[in-house]
Amino acid sequence: MISVLSRHTTARIFTAVVTGVALLAGVAAASARAADDEVSGVVRVGGRSQKDVVVWLEGVTATPPPAQDVVLDQRNLQFLPHVLAVRAGTRVRMPNSDRVFHNVFSFHDGKRFDLGLYPVGTTKAVTFDRPGLSRIFCNIHPNMAAYVLAVDSAHVTVSDRDGRFAIAGVPPGTYTWHAWRPGNHTATGRMTVERGRPVEIGWP
Amino acid sequence: MALMRGLAALTACWLHAGVASGQSLGVEVTQSVGTSSESISAAGTQIRVLGEALPGLRWNVEGAWATRSRDESDVFGTAYPYEGRAELMEAYGEYHFAPGRGLRAIKGGRYRTPFGISSASDHAYVGFLRPPLIRYGEYYALSSGYLEHGLDVVVGVPRLSVEASVGVSADVGPAIRRPGVNTVVRAEGMAGALILGASFVDTTPYMPERFARGRSRFGGVDARWMKGGVLVRGEWLGGQPFDGTSTTGGYADLIVHRPVMGPVTALVRAERLAYDAAPPRALYSHRYSAGARIRLWKTVAASVGIAHQAGQITQRRRTAFDVGLTGSFRQDYRAHP
Repeated sequence: MISVLSRHTTARIFTAVVTGVALLAGVAAASARAADDEVSGVVRVGGRSQKDVVVWLEGVTATPPPAQDVVLDQRNLQFLPHVLAVRAGTRVRMPNSDRVFHNVFSFHDGKRFDLGLYPVGTTKAVTFDRPGLSRIFCNIHPNMAAYVLAVDSAHVTVSDRDGRFAIAGVPPGTYTWHAWRPGNHTATGRMTVERGRPVEIGWP
Repeated sequence: MALMRGLAALTACWLHAGVASGQSLGVEVTQSVGTSSESISAAGTQIRVLGEALPGLRWNVEGAWATRSRDESDVFGTAYPYEGRAELMEAYGEYHFAPGRGLRAIKGGRYRTPFGISSASDHAYVGFLRPPLIRYGEYYALSSGYLEHGLDVVVGVPRLSVEASVGVSADVGPAIRRPGVNTVVRAEGMAGALILGASFVDTTPYMPERFARGRSRFGGVDARWMKGGVLVRGEWLGGQPFDGTSTTGGYADLIVHRPVMGPVTALVRAERLAYDAAPPRALYSHRYSAGARIRLWKTVAASVGIAHQAGQITQRRRTAFDVGLTGSFRQDYRAHP
């Protein structure tokens, strides 16, 4: 009796282990594919690479990760970064990292707010709950200016100083892309994403 | 001009060498021109180079050159002197200790005397074309041209901190203090939208020794409150410019920048100054100012103001109209890791 039970138990354990290993292998393979699911490329304007361009995609069916807080720092009397792109609904934390007071506000399009004066070491936050462009200023330091563009897509990024960009979680396929750069220049097009093949977008 | 050339050369060398990894550099240039119904015209240039050499270690160098057609007024004297020569205003390094353990910073070099609301940006850019009476040199109070060569330490938490400075005078402008050691202590606290400060300075007088004996000592309180685009701020100080005399005075500002006002910021100031000394040297004055700062295009702004005053303070006319135009430019260089 004991030996029969042992055989049953052994068989169950073996089945469980094999199933677990198979599941883990499947998850690992899916994760690897998801990690590979990235579109990268370069933004050009008139043939030259362009920094600070917001690029976002429409129609990506992959489940986006939950929105996380992002930071718009105030350091050395400037906003860092100068251009910030977020998914609508994202909370943007705005710490003051300078020894002087700052007063962040946005009065025009997009999100309207005025955070008042606050000192070094403190942080205030704003949720950009709707898509739109917000021009961010400091009421005390007129050279401080930044843009926050909230878009209705989780697949959004900003090009670096060499014009390069990368958006994770985009499986191969054909998508509509949008781009915006300071000066209110916008562009739209279609791109075909193939694994490992960079794309090029921008303005003629 | 040698200073300006030096600053420009320093900046060019830095840029040529490239900004090393982890470093950042910002260059700000501000040009201002203005004229007043007191038949005074002025022009000024300010260059500021600031950056972060290592994480937490900031530095700041600021120079200015400004001139005006006459000196018999305090118009345009908000942030730097208008004496027709280049001046090094500030040049300091400042280390901010790691956040999360309270606020701790140490600053060394040449910096503005940290009494009251002393930041240049607080006084220069909001649109007022005249400094507060208690902040202009030669009015027997404190000068916005007071500078220290010294060491400054801040400890506390963001909402309550104490600052102490020990230095020697390194002033610019019409009021140059005699050589000597200066100490400043300042406490600042914040509750909601209200920021309160209290300061004390013990320094040498700027007047000649044969005229002014003893030390110059002032205590003061300042407050700032801001909400919804409305800033109310002010300072009040009292003390002795030197033995046997006393000065009291202050100002209150209302600065309004509401969304419906678009690019316009409206300004109102009321202030007074009383210097008690043996007649006929005593000086009493009050002044009321109103004006606006209008952003014309990006970082180009116009300032207009009207100042009405009574008393013995130098102003060529009882009511004066002032107009200014300011354009500024900033370029940032940042190393990417």
